[in-house]
Amino acid sequence: MSDKLSRRDFLKLAGVGAATTAILTGCGPASRLVKREPYLQMPEYTYNGLSTYYATTCRECAAGCGLIVRTSQGRALKTEGSANNPLNLGKTCARGQATLQGLYNPNRVRGPIKHTRGERLYDTAADPFNDEFADAKSNMDWAAATQTVADALKNNKPEEIAFLMGMAPDHLFDLVADLANATGIQAPVRFGALSMFESRATLSKASENLFGQSGLPLFDVGGAQVVFSFGANFLETWLSPVSYTRGFAGLREAQTKLRGKLVQFESRMSSTAGKADEWMPLRPGTEAMVALAIGKLACEIRGIPMPRAFSDVDPLDAASKSGIKLEMLNHLAEMFANSTGALAIPGGAALGQSNGLAVAEAVLALNAVVDNFGKPGGVFFSALAPNQTEYQRPASAKEMAEFVQKMIDGKIKVLFVHGVNPLFELPTSLQFGGATKYVPQIISFATFPDETALEADYIFPDHHGLESWGYQRVATGSVGSVLSGAQPVVSPFYDTRATADVLIAAAQLAGGKFAAALPFKDEVEFLFSKVTPLISEVDGFFSAPDINTFMAYFQQYGGWWKTTDGRSVPNSADALNRSLSGAEAEFAGEGEFFFVPFVSPTLAEAGANKPWLQELPDPTTTVMWNTWVEMNPVTAEELGLEDDDLVAITSEAGVLEVPVYRYPAIRPDTIAIPFGQGHTAYGRYAEKRGVNPTDLIGQNFNEAGDLAFAGMKVKIKKIGKKKPLSRLESIMGVYGVGLGEEK
Amino acid sequence: MIKRFFDWLKKPLGLIAVGITFLALFSLAAYGISLSQQPPAQPVQFPHKIHIAFGIQCLYCHPGAAKGPAAGIPAEAKCWGCHNQIVKTQTSILLKPLKDSVISGTPLQWVPVAQVPDFVQFNHRAHIAAGQNCENCHGDMSKMTVAENPQIFNMGFCLKCHTKVAGENHDLLVKLTDCGTCHY
Repeated sequence: MSDKLSRRDFLKLAGVGAATTAILTGCGPASRLVKREPYLQMPEYTYNGLSTYYATTCRECAAGCGLIVRTSQGRALKTEGSANNPLNLGKTCARGQATLQGLYNPNRVRGPIKHTRGERLYDTAADPFNDEFADAKSNMDWAAATQTVADALKNNKPEEIAFLMGMAPDHLFDLVADLANATGIQAPVRFGALSMFESRATLSKASENLFGQSGLPLFDVGGAQVVFSFGANFLETWLSPVSYTRGFAGLREAQTKLRGKLVQFESRMSSTAGKADEWMPLRPGTEAMVALAIGKLACEIRGIPMPRAFSDVDPLDAASKSGIKLEMLNHLAEMFANSTGALAIPGGAALGQSNGLAVAEAVLALNAVVDNFGKPGGVFFSALAPNQTEYQRPASAKEMAEFVQKMIDGKIKVLFVHGVNPLFELPTSLQFGGATKYVPQIISFATFPDETALEADYIFPDHHGLESWGYQRVATGSVGSVLSGAQPVVSPFYDTRATADVLIAAAQLAGGKFAAALPFKDEVEFLFSKVTPLISEVDGFFSAPDINTFMAYFQQYGGWWKTTDGRSVPNSADALNRSLSGAEAEFAGEGEFFFVPFVSPTLAEAGANKPWLQELPDPTTTVMWNTWVEMNPVTAEELGLEDDDLVAITSEAGVLEVPVYRYPAIRPDTIAIPFGQGHTAYGRYAEKRGVNPTDLIGQNFNEAGDLAFAGMKVKIKKIGKKKPLSRLESIMGVYGVGLGEEK
Repeated sequence: MIKRFFDWLKKPLGLIAVGITFLALFSLAAYGISLSQQPPAQPVQFPHKIHIAFGIQCLYCHPGAAKGPAAGIPAEAKCWGCHNQIVKTQTSILLKPLKDSVISGTPLQWVPVAQVPDFVQFNHRAHIAAGQNCENCHGDMSKMTVAENPQIFNMGFCLKCHTKVAGENHDLLVKLTDCGTCHY
C-alpha cells in the first residue's frame, strides 16, 4: 500500500465501488439485448430448442461408419457413431468427430469456378470470419458449369475421357461406372493414400495365391486368443480402425474367457505395438522369413508333418537376420501353436516392401498351421456389401503409374477428379503433377481447394459429406453385409452441387447414349434405383413393402444391412502345399537407414485442414501441427542430434528437411516420418506445415503392384538449425533436459 | 487525501451529498427495475388480442410449449399462410414489417419478453403436461397487444405456485421444491 492510501481506506473505496457497480448493472434489462429470429420456414419435425438427429455415413475415410449427427436450428452440432450400424456400433474415430470442421471450414470452394491452373484460390492471411476476404469466389453459374461438363463428354472421344475417383462415396462410383459401361468412356479408376499404405492389392493377391480366391480378408481379432500382427496398424488406420479397435477390446476382454494377447512385429512402435503385449522390432525386410520360421517351429510343436510352405526356412538364419533371438522365436511359436485361438495378420509397412507379397503369403500361411479359417478368432473373407457381386479393390500404385503414363501419352483428353487428391497422395516420383500438362482439360469436383483442384481448369465443388446423399459399401470390418446410407443433415451452406446431379444433368444435355445411360431426374432418383433391389431381400435388418417406405427406414437407420453372417471361408486346402519365399526384401537407394513412412491416425490424406485434428497430439509422440522424424536416441547421439534439430533426409527420390524427435521405440537403424502434413494448398490450416514423406518414396513396387513405400534406404545429414516442435508431453527431465545435463 | 475525503463526508455538507447520491442511485435502480418490467419495443406491434378473438389457440403459433423447453416464435411462413390471403396485409402500415420480411427473406427480430435467468432450466412441456394454462403465467393475452409480463418471473413466483399445486402431498412438494428441479 502507498503512503497516501491505507489498506483500510482501499477496502472501503473498493466496497463502495463494488456496491455502486452492482446497483447500476444489476437492474439493467441486459437480457433485452438478445434478439430472437424465428425461422422463415420451419423445417418439418423441428421444434425450437430441441435438437434433431439424423443418421448418415462418415465420409472422412472409406470405411463407411454410421454417424448420428445432432442438429439444431439447421446447423450440425455434433457427430457420434451410430449405434445401429453393425460396423462401428456407436463409435467413431477422431476423424469422424472432426468432420464438422470440414463442413464449417472457411476455405471451402463456394461455387463453380473457371480457374487458371496453378492460381491460388484464397488468401491465407485473410480473416476467416470475414466473407469479404473469403476464398474461392465463384465466377460462373451452375448452368454454365453443367454445359461445360456436357461439352467435355460430348466433344471428346469416349475412350479419351477418364474419371479418377476417391474411395468414397460408392454411389457416385456406381453412377460413373454405369456411365462408363454404357458409353465406352474409360472405367473409373479409384485411388486413396490410405489404401496405398494398407497395401490392399497385396492382401487380395496373396489371398488369390493361397486360397484361390481374391478378396479382402477379415481377421476376427475379437474372437482370438493370440494375435500376431506383422505391420498391421489396425488400431490407428488399417482398413477399418473403429471396427478393429472394437475387436481389440474383445481380445482383451477377460470376463468370459482368458485375456487375449497381441504380439506386434514392426520396426517402429505404432499405437498398436504400444498396446501389444510384445513388440518385436525386427529388421525391416525379414518379416516373411520370421513368419515362416515361426510357422516351421509351430508345426514341430504341434507335431504336424512339415508342409512345403515352411520346409525351406532355417529358424536360426531367420533369428540372426531379423534380430529376434532363437529362444524368442521358439517362445512365440509355442505361444502360437498352443493357443486355442491363434491369428496372424499381415498388413501395412510389412507389405509395402519389395517382397510384400511373400510377406502376406507367409503370414496368411501361419493361419493354416492352426487352421483357424472360418472359425471364431480366425480368418474370413469380408462380407460383400448388399449391392455388390465381387470384391472391387482400389487401384494399386502400379496401376496409378500406368494411369499417369496414359496421361503423358495423350490418351486422356478430359480428366474428371473427385474425392481424391493425387498431387498430395501419390508419391511425387510417380509424376502425376508433371503429367497434368498433357491433359487438355481437367475438371475437379473438390469440396476443398486441394493441390489437385489448383491444377484443374474448372472446379465444380461437390457438397460436403454432411450435406450429401449417397451410400458407402462396407468393404471389411463387419460380420454381415452392410450398406451404409448417407443423407444431408443440413442444407448446403454454399453454392455447391452434388457431383451426381451435375453428371446426370450434363448427360441429359449431352444427349444420345449419355442421356440414355443416366435416365434419372436427380441423384436421389438414382439412389432409389440402386437401392430398390434390396426390398426383395429376405434377411435384412428391416424390410418394407415399397421403395418409399424402404427409403424412409434407410434414412432413419442410416443404411441397410443383413442380419446373417455374410463372411465366407477361405479355402485353405492348398495353402501350405506350395513353396513360400522367405527371401529378404531389397531396399532401393543408398543410405544407412531404413525409411518407414506411416499414416498419421488423425491427419492422413485429408485431415490436415481440420484444426481439431492438427491440435490432437499424435498418440505416440504427442507432437502437434507439424511433421517430425522419429529417430532412436542412440542413433541421434551418434549423429550428434538432439530434439528439434533439423536434418536433411535424402532418398533416391528426393530430399526433405525435418526436425528430429528422439523416439526410443524405434530400431536404431530405422527412421520414420508420419504422412499427413506437407500440403501446398488445401486451406489455411493445412498448408505450409510440415513435409510430405511421399516425396521421398521412389517408383518401387512389390509383386502385387502395391507401392514399396517402406522399401527405401535413406541418408541423414545434420543441417545445424533447429525447428522446435510443439508437443503435449513435457520434455523436462527427458534426456536430461532442464537438469543442466544437456549435451 | 483519502482521509480528508472521509472527514468531509462526516460534515453536514458531506452527509447531504451522501444522501443525494444514495437517493440518486436508489431511484436509478427503481427506474431500472420498472424498465425491465415494461414490454420492450417489438418490430411489429403484434396484436395478440385480435388473434385470440379469432379463436386461434396459443399452441397453434407456439407449438413448442407442448413439445419441449421453448414455446418458440412462429416461423414467418406460418404467419404468411393466413396473411397472404388477407387483403389488409397488403395495405396496412402495421403489417408492412411482416410483408417486407417475407419478401426479402430476412427474419423479424423479436425481443424476448418472458425470461428467466440462464441458471434456471425452465421447460414449458412439463407445465402444459401438468395441466397449467398459458395465462397462469403469461396473463390474459386476449387483453394485450404485444406480450407483457404480468409479474416478475423470479423464484418466489415459481415456488408460490409449486407449493400451492403440491398442497398436502408431501412427496410432490419435495419434488416440486427441490433445487435440482430447476437448477441443474
